[in-house]
Amino acid sequence: MSGSHDVIVVGAGPAGGEAALAASGAGLRVALIDEGPAPGGQVWRAPRTAQAQAAAARDPDGRQGGALRKRLRDASVTLLAGAEVWDAEPGFVVQCLAATGNHALQAPRLILATGAMERVLPFPGWTTPGVFGLAAATAIMKSEKTLPGKEIVIAGQGPLLIAVAVKALELGLRPRAIVDRAGPRDWLRAAPAFAAMPSMLARGARWMARLKAAGVPILRQSAVVSAGGCSALDGVTVRHLPSGRETEIAADTLYIGNGLTPADELHRLLGAAQTRDRLRGGCRTEVDADQRTSVPGLYAAGDGAGVHGALPSVFQGQIAGLAAARDHGALDADAFAARSRPARRRLARALRFADASCRLMTFPEDDLAEMPPDCVVCRCEDVRRSDIEAAMASGAADMNQLKHFTRLGMGPCQGRMCGLNAAGLLAPEGDLRFTPRAPVRPVSMDRLIGEFDYSDIPVPKPAPL
Amino acid sequence: MTRTDYDLAVIGGGIQGASVALFAAREGMRVVLFDKGALARQASGTNAGTLTMQMTRAALIPYALKAHEMWVNAPQWLGHDVGVVACDGLSLAFTEAEEEILSQRAEARSAAGAPIRLVSSREAARIEPGVNPGIRMASHCSVDGYANAYLTGLAYRRALVEAGVELREYTPVSGLGSSGRGYDIRTEGGGVTARQVVLAGGVWIEPMLKWLGIDLPIKTLINQLAVTERAAPVMRTVLGIASGLLSLKQYPHGTVVIGGGWQGEGDRDSGTHRATAASAVGNARLAVHAIPSLRRSRIVRIWTGFEAETADALPAVGPVPGHPGAWVIGSVHSGYTSAPYMARCLTQAILGRPPEMPLFPIDRLLPGHGSH
Repeated sequence: MSGSHDVIVVGAGPAGGEAALAASGAGLRVALIDEGPAPGGQVWRAPRTAQAQAAAARDPDGRQGGALRKRLRDASVTLLAGAEVWDAEPGFVVQCLAATGNHALQAPRLILATGAMERVLPFPGWTTPGVFGLAAATAIMKSEKTLPGKEIVIAGQGPLLIAVAVKALELGLRPRAIVDRAGPRDWLRAAPAFAAMPSMLARGARWMARLKAAGVPILRQSAVVSAGGCSALDGVTVRHLPSGRETEIAADTLYIGNGLTPADELHRLLGAAQTRDRLRGGCRTEVDADQRTSVPGLYAAGDGAGVHGALPSVFQGQIAGLAAARDHGALDADAFAARSRPARRRLARALRFADASCRLMTFPEDDLAEMPPDCVVCRCEDVRRSDIEAAMASGAADMNQLKHFTRLGMGPCQGRMCGLNAAGLLAPEGDLRFTPRAPVRPVSMDRLIGEFDYSDIPVPKPAPL
Repeated sequence: MTRTDYDLAVIGGGIQGASVALFAAREGMRVVLFDKGALARQASGTNAGTLTMQMTRAALIPYALKAHEMWVNAPQWLGHDVGVVACDGLSLAFTEAEEEILSQRAEARSAAGAPIRLVSSREAARIEPGVNPGIRMASHCSVDGYANAYLTGLAYRRALVEAGVELREYTPVSGLGSSGRGYDIRTEGGGVTARQVVLAGGVWIEPMLKWLGIDLPIKTLINQLAVTERAAPVMRTVLGIASGLLSLKQYPHGTVVIGGGWQGEGDRDSGTHRATAASAVGNARLAVHAIPSLRRSRIVRIWTGFEAETADALPAVGPVPGHPGAWVIGSVHSGYTSAPYMARCLTQAILGRPPEMPLFPIDRLLPGHGSH
């Protein structure tokens, strides 16, 4: 599998899958890498169980995912599934770990379509067993058609609240409550943009009707401010944000999410220029109209470059794949313009809809300041807000100092969960990030090094005595 | 004649510069310390923290032994904890050729005063039960250990503030000139004057010395390291190999740091450096070969940092020739280990006292030296 290609695509979701198909359709030798067992990414995640397969056949996302997987099977794209990319070197060499060991893939062009990660505004108890991400809930349902929990509360912000609640109903789980940071006015403001996508608007209306019929309470302008229970969740405290009134809800499972942020570790590792952009999940990678980043030969599409949602990702992916083919010399200017024109037209329309969703999902940065002192920020290393304040009092002014003074970000997730939250506490108006370093996922030593003889290790010449 | 702003300006807030600033301030000097970033964020904060004799050049052993003692007593003289653990150290030989290197090096270091002796594979396994039973022999040193390098900045920052050193972090120095009674230190926001100046810029002492017209070539090494996630205990010593290309130890919180000077890629002028996958795999294989149970761990981070080296790989510590009151400190091989003691000796010279042990003046490295 190691070897040379015309273009490598990292991520086989809507953006990466389409990028690979577009580049391959233009004649490029394409390698497509994904950490999942099959293409589809998060939103078009491949069903694993029989129940999930049956459900996917009835669901628009499920059908689109199935179609993408079929097109990829039929295309001459070299697919490496179940492979975790852990490093990318300029030029480009992409290192990834699969069940068969470490693979080094080479290509002069690289398309990053790495998707998004969920953000959670920390609150006391957010690390209690029984608290899950909202996006994690959709991942479990799409692959397994099941949801952990009996008494569930769904909280956070954005359209995922409704989607998860409806899917829970389909599983016979009636949510105890939906806790939505937004108010009716925020949703009304989004309505005209949603109306630009009549099919989506109709689906949303159907879902709301079902929640109403099932009698699921929706608590507007409200947020979960604490979760109780030691070894397992036993309830949540919900605050009505305008009045400050608090209510307790018994629950064994909380699904909560405060929007998405680009999974941009590889973009940053390769030095692509970025801009702070709250609407796009905190920070977006700068791309031109053809999805080229500031690094020659490097393209970025989909939520990994800036959160837009699945639909724009499809078209960005197509454009990126065609641009790679154009830059490779496989398409002339006219062919590139003709092939990319439909995607550009549909992208413009999809973006209006996407921006309305993104606004509802924008992370509530200002509320970081409300976090109580004993609230855990870095769950890998158990670093609390008070530890961060103490480090700041000792002179920590940047993320690396904060890390060194507290161990924040030094655990298995390397700050992917806590980095932006800690940066928001350290310098609310700043643009602070951890220094990007490989591996972008923890790597199994066993898989990384494989079997070897001592004599094969290229030990450098001895240091001077 | 105007009064200067400071008695001493130190340029470079790594462990060498910060130690000189600290000791000088405690002797009553008015000291200002500049760094282009935060304290101890280059080599001093990103190295493996090993406090070992078995990777130290023989000529530096006497200094390293003194420094090791200082590290162990850091809470007393520094006043703050840098997580120092003193433990046994083993250097391993896996092949006949390595046995030979190991024997030679153990002998040379032992002659220089390090308590190093050769031990059988059986005895090595008794000292370090986690070690690969296939080793041929090892050298054991009872003076070994490690610090938590990433705590260096925090600990020194507190100590410097308490000692009254004026800290100017994130303040790059753009140039240096002689003035009536000392030196003008130029920065973007203006500048200061100081009677004496110390250049302690790590790999950047080469461009710093150019400010004074001195041409001292400094080689830039780009050392690469890796760390595992927290794990149950797998080892209790500091481990190396005969060639010096491995350093391995497990911190009390469970992470294992893998170092040894495998090279990444980078460039001093742009200040950027990055790890390479090839070095990561090679270094990890060596580590697993030494401690086989490390195979079950996961690496969470790989990083790089600069190390400075002179042409003869011996330190640049002493006066800047032709510039009274200007000093340089850097390029100390195993510099993290030896830093506090090197800094103590240089501070004695700055104060006009004879240093406890000889410095390493740079005259020997300058063009024209020894040619007449």
